[in-house]
Amino acid sequence: MSLDKETIVEKMTALLGKDNVVTDEQVLKESSVDRFRRFEELHGVFTQPIPAAVVYVHSTEEVKAVLNFARENNINIVPRTGHSATEGGLETAVENSIVVDGSGMNKIISIDPYNMLATCQCGASLQELEDKLREDGYTTGHSPQSKPLAQMGGLVATRSIGQFSTLYGGIEDMVVGLEAVFPNGKVTRIKNVPRRAAGPDIRHVIIGNEGALCYITEVTVKIFKFTPENNVLLGYTLDNMKTGFEILREIMVNGYRPSVARLYDPADGSLHFSHFAAGKCVLILMAEGPKPLADATGKAMEEIVSKYGGCKKVEPKYIQVWFDNLNWDVGKVAEEREEIMATKNIGNTTEVAGTWDIINDIYEVCVERISSEIPDITLIGGHSSHSYLNGTNMYFVYYYNVVNCRPEEEIAKYHLPIKKIIVEETIRAGGSMCHHHGVGKHRTHWIEDEYGSSYYILETLKEAFDPQGIMNRGTILPGR
Amino acid sequence: MNILVCFKVVPDLDLMPGGDWNVDSRLRVETGYVKNIINPYDESALEIALQFADKADDDQCSPGLTALTIGDSKANLHLKTLRALSFDRAVRIDSKEDLRFRPETCAALISAYINKIGKNNVVIMGRQSGVGDNAQTPLICAEMMGWPCITQVSSIEPAAGACLRVTNLVDDGTCRQTIEPPCILAIGNAPNSYLRVPTLKDIKAHGQKPVEVIDAAVLMATGGQPALPGGCELLGIEAIDRRRSGIIIEGETAAEKTQALYYSYLKGWLAGI
Repeated sequence: MSLDKETIVEKMTALLGKDNVVTDEQVLKESSVDRFRRFEELHGVFTQPIPAAVVYVHSTEEVKAVLNFARENNINIVPRTGHSATEGGLETAVENSIVVDGSGMNKIISIDPYNMLATCQCGASLQELEDKLREDGYTTGHSPQSKPLAQMGGLVATRSIGQFSTLYGGIEDMVVGLEAVFPNGKVTRIKNVPRRAAGPDIRHVIIGNEGALCYITEVTVKIFKFTPENNVLLGYTLDNMKTGFEILREIMVNGYRPSVARLYDPADGSLHFSHFAAGKCVLILMAEGPKPLADATGKAMEEIVSKYGGCKKVEPKYIQVWFDNLNWDVGKVAEEREEIMATKNIGNTTEVAGTWDIINDIYEVCVERISSEIPDITLIGGHSSHSYLNGTNMYFVYYYNVVNCRPEEEIAKYHLPIKKIIVEETIRAGGSMCHHHGVGKHRTHWIEDEYGSSYYILETLKEAFDPQGIMNRGTILPGR
Repeated sequence: MNILVCFKVVPDLDLMPGGDWNVDSRLRVETGYVKNIINPYDESALEIALQFADKADDDQCSPGLTALTIGDSKANLHLKTLRALSFDRAVRIDSKEDLRFRPETCAALISAYINKIGKNNVVIMGRQSGVGDNAQTPLICAEMMGWPCITQVSSIEPAAGACLRVTNLVDDGTCRQTIEPPCILAIGNAPNSYLRVPTLKDIKAHGQKPVEVIDAAVLMATGGQPALPGGCELLGIEAIDRRRSGIIIEGETAAEKTQALYYSYLKGWLAGI
């Protein structure tokens, strides 16, 4: 039997102090959702169970104490750092949950340029870490669109990825070691070594757990030499996505590693490139690293693109100016909110991945079905932004006018039917339904289809590490 | 009622990198690398016209709506969007001239269009644009047409007898008046006036209709009154330094930080108001 709200608040106050336990009604309401429900939030409508408190932790010991309390009293915990999640992962699915906010654990603990490591607490801002590293000529190589907002714990918990991933990899390729607290109160540290072959790589139990298995308290990531002066930026317009996918494939299978490899369709491109590429696809490539390598990669990519008819080179300045304005800071978020309220037009995204042989089909069938089946659509398009030896991702972008429905009906009328088309078509084709936003709470319906027979492993992890189901209920796996 | 809404396509200067504010020998700043947008005041004008049409539709007296711009083909995308948003006509007066600081020429072209082609009796446009910042086009146009002009308009509603109920800001408050066309309305800060977005269905149904293109020189030669002499000569141009600085307030608790904020900054500032 779970405790009532007053008792939870009282116990949390005793554990963490009054200043670290927030019970303001508006804060609690806003902490019951993430960006997935921002249309409801903007209208002041909150449909999710309201948490008992948002608590601010400042040490691993405090996290441990909170988790012990939650386990003993069967209280749902929602781990949070930057609050920039997009897939409902931060929604409080259970009444009187405790939102455990680690943004106060924001120290950059060490930067070790000899071993190329940076260690941070979970609430360290990626932007601050990156800025600090760049002052000394280093970079994390991680640059998600949420960089100005996101914090290290959340980035690792959601298996995030950045704009330079084709060279540096996703966060899973960057994490060297970790500290996490499990719901039984066990504090675990995975040491920092260049590689290990001592059994399964248990970092991956923690990376991408979305707060459903444990609470990440500390992260060590690789750092890289930062040499922007060597960057070679290339941009092209082309007629269709199929050709673009072929170019990306040829670059990747021939062993080139651009940091940026992005392919926009005309609809998504119209949001960014209408001043030089109206009605066209846009291909963006960037080579970086030591000058000889960057130059050679750039030259080779130019040669590959030149073999494909219809590709027209664009002056790099067009791409650079766009790239410099790509990330979302608080100003852009505020502007978006105002615009949504005025126009009732809202944009969302769903990201999937597939091998080279299926990705164009996934793109085409999803765009066709969404255009014809979903009402009030104002834009459906997408881009590929992260490529691999075996395939690439597709980041679907869609906007719609919210017409003749209440704010709380928006998701059921528009967003989920669109997501359903994308997820089902992707799984049917053999791809993955989640590329880098995480499962959250709104793709759990398809999680068994995503995993197939390996779902056994995922389910067993949950049962083993969180047998009471107190960690972010309803995330990754459907709520019990 | 036959409404003409005038708009200007401008570069989104918020996207300009700080180091790119370089003035060339012709006193131009290269802005071609950034995305184009509809000038925000004009965007409000377009949306207010659509809102007026929605309300007039309810009263079963729907007005004719024409969107007009002056410039090169980069405006065509926006004109097609406006067609999809149910503007009856989308017109571009083709001109490659530098009109940044020539509101009198813009006003002459608009007047020529009204007199020769559009026969409009209500003109709505933004009060000024970020490019040029002249804030004169509506007023000069009104002078040329011999019509009244209301500035700082924030909303327009239909009124009985083919009139308009216009709300605008004045020095000491808000003025609400009913006026009979013809008139020119210059839109100022207007709440809830982001331009609506057409659906794919709207774009398919209406967005492919052609944009009317009229040559500026031909228009002036055949129907325009001569442009007034330019009121200003451009002598120089420089970027405004918009850098901001800040201090981090130290303190152990929120209460301590609040005290520090009040005593080190707010108190003095409030006293100075």
